[in-house]
Amino acid sequence: MLKLSSVHTSYGPIKALRGIDIEVYKGEIVCLIGSNGAGKTTTLMTISGILKPEAGDILFKDEPIKDTSPHIIVKKGICHVPEGRRIFPRLTIMENIEMGAYSEVRTQKSELRNNLERVFALFPILKERAKQMGGTLSGGEQQMLAIGRALMSNPELLLLDEPSLGLAPIMVSRIFKTIKEINNEGVTVLLVEQNAKAALKLSNRGYVLENGAIKLHGRGGDLLHNEEVKKAYLGE
Amino acid sequence: MLLQQLINGLTLGGVYALIALGYTMVYGILELINFAHGEIYMLGAYLGIIFLAFFTAAGLTATSLPIALFLTVLLTIIFCSAYGFAMEKTAYKPLRNAPRLSPLISAIGVSIFLQNYVMLTQGATDKVFPYKFSSAGFQFLNVNMTYLQAIIIAVSALLMLLLHLFIQKTRIGKAMRATAQDKTMASLVGINVDIIISATFVIGAGLAAVAGIMVAAYYGLVNYYIGYIAGIKAFTAAVLGGIGSIPGAMLGGIVLGLVESIGAAYISSEYKDAYAFIILIIILLIKPSGILGKTAEEKV
Repeated sequence: MLKLSSVHTSYGPIKALRGIDIEVYKGEIVCLIGSNGAGKTTTLMTISGILKPEAGDILFKDEPIKDTSPHIIVKKGICHVPEGRRIFPRLTIMENIEMGAYSEVRTQKSELRNNLERVFALFPILKERAKQMGGTLSGGEQQMLAIGRALMSNPELLLLDEPSLGLAPIMVSRIFKTIKEINNEGVTVLLVEQNAKAALKLSNRGYVLENGAIKLHGRGGDLLHNEEVKKAYLGE
Repeated sequence: MLLQQLINGLTLGGVYALIALGYTMVYGILELINFAHGEIYMLGAYLGIIFLAFFTAAGLTATSLPIALFLTVLLTIIFCSAYGFAMEKTAYKPLRNAPRLSPLISAIGVSIFLQNYVMLTQGATDKVFPYKFSSAGFQFLNVNMTYLQAIIIAVSALLMLLLHLFIQKTRIGKAMRATAQDKTMASLVGINVDIIISATFVIGAGLAAVAGIMVAAYYGLVNYYIGYIAGIKAFTAAVLGGIGSIPGAMLGGIVLGLVESIGAAYISSEYKDAYAFIILIIILLIKPSGILGKTAEEKV
């Protein structure tokens, strides 16, 4: 479904990605793990079009997207939930969710209503607080809003950047459970996580990034038992 | 006496508010003070005179004044919006990722260019508005409100109401607010940020165009440098209300208009233009974020 081949991305003189190859197949959950500065976030931002790669190719459903603007990439079916949730704090929760469906102007009203029902079924708290400003929500609720907003665009591929960052442990397990549910409904997920253990448990496959390059990749379970991964990222 | 000054102040304030909205909306989205915005207002005044003179020559003003005025306003809005659109594309968009000082200097350049462009094409002398509104009006409580004043206040209020509904209720309006809060995230939910920025300039220019025509009709005379002082006053109004805040610009404009006319009546009319700047200094000292402005908030 998504294929990155030898992608290079830089911030000015700093080379953040030095030739990354990643493949994500339909229906999978794939995670990227690695330490701070390894290039995980940069990878997601390059896929969603916020950063332009210097070299390499990105194919989504066999179509090149590396020179496509972010708002067009959303229409093609990739939705990116960035690090720090980035909800609109001075828009109401309902308006935040509506913005998620911004690109769906040609979608039937009834389908949009179904999407809304689905988001509210996943996160009932959002329905209760629909008229509140987004900025009044707690961190975990904001994460729910960010994911709910993303689902409104009917994504085929969901890019999640650190969804568990800064959340209470109970909230973390809820968010991971929700990601699994969303995946069961047919949405492919590419996940970036600091919480490597939980992420690898959840994922079909994983990639380990180090200094802007792929160091290892394999099935989630295999990486969990890999000695190198254990030592460097699982703290065992 | 006081009531009379309130009406004069409200007339002036409505116009300031319309111009201030253009400053505040652009600032809200780009964090750019568009110092050339006052020139759009000046272009509005000139274009209004040109179109109305054309309709007068064609005989339309004599047969049906409302239609002639309506067409004048409509054409002026379209032309000024086109100027606003072109200004953003040529002077600001290429500098979107440049240091913050660059677009500011570019704005001053656009301002100087437009002033001289109008001076060269329209002449350096005052232009006269081709229709003289009667000084008749409503009489109540010893106060006289001319029909033109009533129209200016009503049109300003109506435009502000429409803008408010547009920003709060429509899809594009909500996208504008979203873009103002977080441009990157706006593009990630599928908003074409370039179109939203263009729309902001177009709407701001349209409001300034109406303000320009109304002032040209009110004072009867315009020249190529009216945009400078009006622009600075409207900018003051926007800062007074809280730059980036739309209700703030409306409130700031009206407060500034009232202060000016009351100050002129009770203190001295010689210093009429100075009151705006005295207010600007006081606001910057006491509450730099403005009356309705938000202090910079922490992002969670």
